[in-house]
Amino acid sequence: MDPLLYVFDLIVFIGIFGIVSLSLNLEFGFAGLDNFGKVAFFLIGAYTYALLSQIGLPFYLCLIAGGLISAIWGLVISLPALRLRADYLAIAILAFGEILRLIVKSEDWLAGGDWGVTVAPAISLAGASHRVDALINIALVYICLFICFLVVQLLASSPYGRAMRAIREDEVAAEALGKDRSKHKAQALMLGSAMAGLAGGLYAQYLHCVLPGMFMPMITFTVWIMVLLGGPGNNWGVLLGAALVEIFDRGTNIAKDYVALPIDPSNLQYILFGALIIFVLLYRPQGLLKESKIGTKALRLAHNGRRAFKSKGS
Amino acid sequence: MEEGLLRVREVSKHFGGVYAVNGVNLDINHGGIYGLVGPNGSGKTTLFNIILGLHKPDQGVIHFKDECINNLAPHQIYELGLVNAFQIPRLFYSLSVLDNMVVAARGQQGDKLFNSLFRRGRWQEQEKGLIEEALDILELVELEQWAFSPAGELSGGQRKLLEVARGLMAKPTLLLLDEPAAGINPVLGKRIFQKLKDFSHNGIVFFIVEHRLEILFEFASWVYVMDKGRIVIAGQPQDIVDDPTFYAVYLGEE
Repeated sequence: MDPLLYVFDLIVFIGIFGIVSLSLNLEFGFAGLDNFGKVAFFLIGAYTYALLSQIGLPFYLCLIAGGLISAIWGLVISLPALRLRADYLAIAILAFGEILRLIVKSEDWLAGGDWGVTVAPAISLAGASHRVDALINIALVYICLFICFLVVQLLASSPYGRAMRAIREDEVAAEALGKDRSKHKAQALMLGSAMAGLAGGLYAQYLHCVLPGMFMPMITFTVWIMVLLGGPGNNWGVLLGAALVEIFDRGTNIAKDYVALPIDPSNLQYILFGALIIFVLLYRPQGLLKESKIGTKALRLAHNGRRAFKSKGS
Repeated sequence: MEEGLLRVREVSKHFGGVYAVNGVNLDINHGGIYGLVGPNGSGKTTLFNIILGLHKPDQGVIHFKDECINNLAPHQIYELGLVNAFQIPRLFYSLSVLDNMVVAARGQQGDKLFNSLFRRGRWQEQEKGLIEEALDILELVELEQWAFSPAGELSGGQRKLLEVARGLMAKPTLLLLDEPAAGINPVLGKRIFQKLKDFSHNGIVFFIVEHRLEILFEFASWVYVMDKGRIVIAGQPQDIVDDPTFYAVYLGEE
């Protein structure tokens, strides 16, 4: 196989999972929601894309629809789920993801059941080589990633982001300080789900198919590793986490062809992932990069001109 | 309608079979510092929590600025200008001291999702003003040099000060303070009250639970004494001090 194509493929995967990591960072890193059902919204976006592109909708509408429908589901799930305590919320959304996967698996009429359906690529130029196809995908994915990054970054350094972080720190105190915690959490879940849905659409068109087997709970946990490793509350950090985990994933896949091990190397990968989470949580709970500060313009000015501020104040 | 900022009428709340608050009536009018005293477990904090909407009363009505606030959520009550500082500070410890202050401001344009993304000019101007206000208040409570440090790095007494300062940041009409001088050295405690007095001249009304009676009675204009969930005496501090019931309540004499 063309080694350059392998690198391109890796870059696309980093981009797609970068978007999902950003969405989890918005929910968990900033708003403090333990979303253990990330894959559910990834699945909704992917299947929406697949079904709508089958009836001939252009790719950008399919992507937007995937995000929208996923967002609606995020909102619907938030209504009962946000009444639950954090750990029960995690279990409820986890179950939601599994239920969805089992529905698309067993309802053959919907999207081919276990066999899934094939999905046309978003943009296919006649006679383009694999490399050009991959480059088109990279462009498409990274445009979406850029938009998501911008949204999360702007939110994180605004009074809205400050309110979200306050809710994450102490939701009762935040509520007593005028923050509508249910509304904020529902919005975070909605927006995060929209991004995960968008990423799902990109995933479906890149892999040219959707299958129930593509949406195992492991996807959720992989995204959690990316966020925890990179640094919750830091958008650059979670992108770094996404890149490192994808490279690690590929690396171990290559390495197992060359290293003879007494156990199945595929299982070893899960063991290593688990060990990595424990290691990060024990020795560097803040992740590789520290949480970003709330960087509104006025705050930065105040911070830089602190002396000037002081002399003016007194 | 009767005059008065806060009217509490026949409010009761029980946990299991125990009445924590039992048919309480009280009025807070415009201007001044009001005190609420009573032995531990007499229901003071529960009464505060009911007023703030953190507990729903079993019966009774509470009016604030002639509006019934029984069924409002805590964040709605806050926006009306009825604000609270917790007894045990509940700060946002990983946020900076300044962020802890600014987050408390009422009527922020930028804490709505849409505005935060698409109407950035609108809140950025407001934010500048809020930061200046916050730094001014922090200067008053001598926390200014900590403005950009995480609140988690503050000492116990400083946390207490920040909790009170955060309440002031909301420019409340009525500020409930639960033991603002507890755990603070007597000199600083007195200074806090002195500053509260200054703020009360600017129109903020205070309703304060405090066990440090010598400080409270010096500054309060009206004091409610609570025992076993009921208001047993109400009056000016000098009259309360002369009331034998007051000693019975506090010292447990029959």
